[in-house]
Amino acid sequence: MREIIAAPTPGLDLRRHYGHHQTPAIRAGGLIFCSGMVAVNPETGEREHGTVTSEARRIFENLKLLLESSGSSLDRLIQVHAMIYDRIEYDVLNRLYRQYVPNAPPARTVMSVQIEAGFKVMLDVIAAA
Amino acid sequence: MTLQRDVIAPKNPAFDMSRNLNLPLSSAIRAGAFIFVSGMVAIDPSSGERMHGTVAAETRQALIALAQVLEAAGSSLTKAVKINVLIYSMLEYNNMNEVYREFFPDEPPSRTVCGARLSGGSKVEIECIALA
Amino acid sequence: MTRRLSRSVIEPVNPKLNVSRNANLPHSPGIRVGEYIFLSGMGPVDPITGGRNLGPIAEQIRQTLRNMAHMLESGGSGLDRIVKINIVLGDIQHYDEMNRVWREFFPVDPPARTTCALQLSNGNGVEIECIALGAANIPESR
Repeated sequence: MREIIAAPTPGLDLRRHYGHHQTPAIRAGGLIFCSGMVAVNPETGEREHGTVTSEARRIFENLKLLLESSGSSLDRLIQVHAMIYDRIEYDVLNRLYRQYVPNAPPARTVMSVQIEAGFKVMLDVIAAA
Repeated sequence: MTLQRDVIAPKNPAFDMSRNLNLPLSSAIRAGAFIFVSGMVAIDPSSGERMHGTVAAETRQALIALAQVLEAAGSSLTKAVKINVLIYSMLEYNNMNEVYREFFPDEPPSRTVCGARLSGGSKVEIECIALA
Repeated sequence: MTRRLSRSVIEPVNPKLNVSRNANLPHSPGIRVGEYIFLSGMGPVDPITGGRNLGPIAEQIRQTLRNMAHMLESGGSGLDRIVKINIVLGDIQHYDEMNRVWREFFPVDPPARTTCALQLSNGNGVEIECIALGAANIPESR
C-alpha cells in the first residue's frame, strides 16, 4: 500500500500553488519518497530565491516539517540527490548541508542540473519512515 | 529468507530497450517491496526505435512505455511512488507537465523534475520506483 | 504495517575508498535500510593512493565500478545485487563507450539504469550511484 503524505503547511502544496502534478511525499514499504524540494515559504508558497545558503536552509527546514509531520525526521534520511545550479558553489552547499545532517549523514550524489524557476538548489530525498 | 531480484521485460518486445536499442540494462528490476524502472524514453511501438519529437510527444510515448513495463511487472502507474523526469531544457517544463497529468488523474506520485543532457538525442527521460 | 526499518552506515573495508571521511564530506559512503543499500555517488578513486585516477573514460568507469564492487562487498552485497544504478557522465558523447565497458561488469541480468550528462568536478568523467539488495540472508530488522 502506498500512503499519500499531504503538505503539512499550505505553502508546501506545490500542486495547488504552481500546478506541479505531484504529491509532497509518499510512504511505501517503510520508506518515504519526497518530491524535489525547493525554497518556497512553507506558509504562503512564495518562492524565496536567494543564495545557495539561504535556499538550502529553507529547503532543509521544509523537509523537516514534511518528514516530521509523517513520523520521520532528517536523521532518518537515506539518500539525497543534492541538485545545484552550478558545481562552483559545492563548498558553499556543504557548509550549510552538514549543519542539518551532522551525524551518520545519508548517502548523497551532488548533481549540477537545471532547476525550475531559476532556483539554485533542490533536494530530492528518500527517508526511512 | 533469501532476497531475490527479478528482471522485468515488457510483454510487447518493441518496448524492450535493452533488446532494441542494444543497451546493457534491464527494463526494470523487482526486488523486495519495489520495482525499479530504468529511465524510459519515447519508443516507437512498432519499430522499437527511439522516437524524436516535441517534448509533449516524447513525454506521452515515454509514459506509455513506462506503463507497459510496470504492467509486465504486475504493477501499474497507480502504484508509482516516485518519478524522476529529466528534460533537455527546463524551459519545456509546462509542455511535459500538461501531458504528464493525463497519466496520473488521481493522487499523482512524488516527482522530481530537472534539466540534464540525455543520451541518443532524446528530449525527455522518465524513471520510476513503484510498489510491486 | 508499522515496523520501523533500522538504518545503518556502510563503510568500505579499504579506508582509501572512504571519500566521505577522507575528504571530510557530509555524506556516508552507504546506508543500509531494511532490505536495501543506497550508495553515495562514486568516482574513479585509486584504491591504493586514495587519489583520483583520471585517464580515458573507459578506465575511469572500470575503476569506479571496481570501487563500487568493493563498497557493496564491504556491506555484504555485490554488483550482481544492484537493482538500480544511475550514471552521470561529464560528456554525453561517452555514452557508447560507457555501454561497451558496462557489459564487462554486468554481463547477465543487468540492473535498471538511468544515464545523463552533467557538469562534474575535479576533471572526473563519471560518477555512479546505486541501490542494491543487502546480503542474501539477513535477520529481521528491528
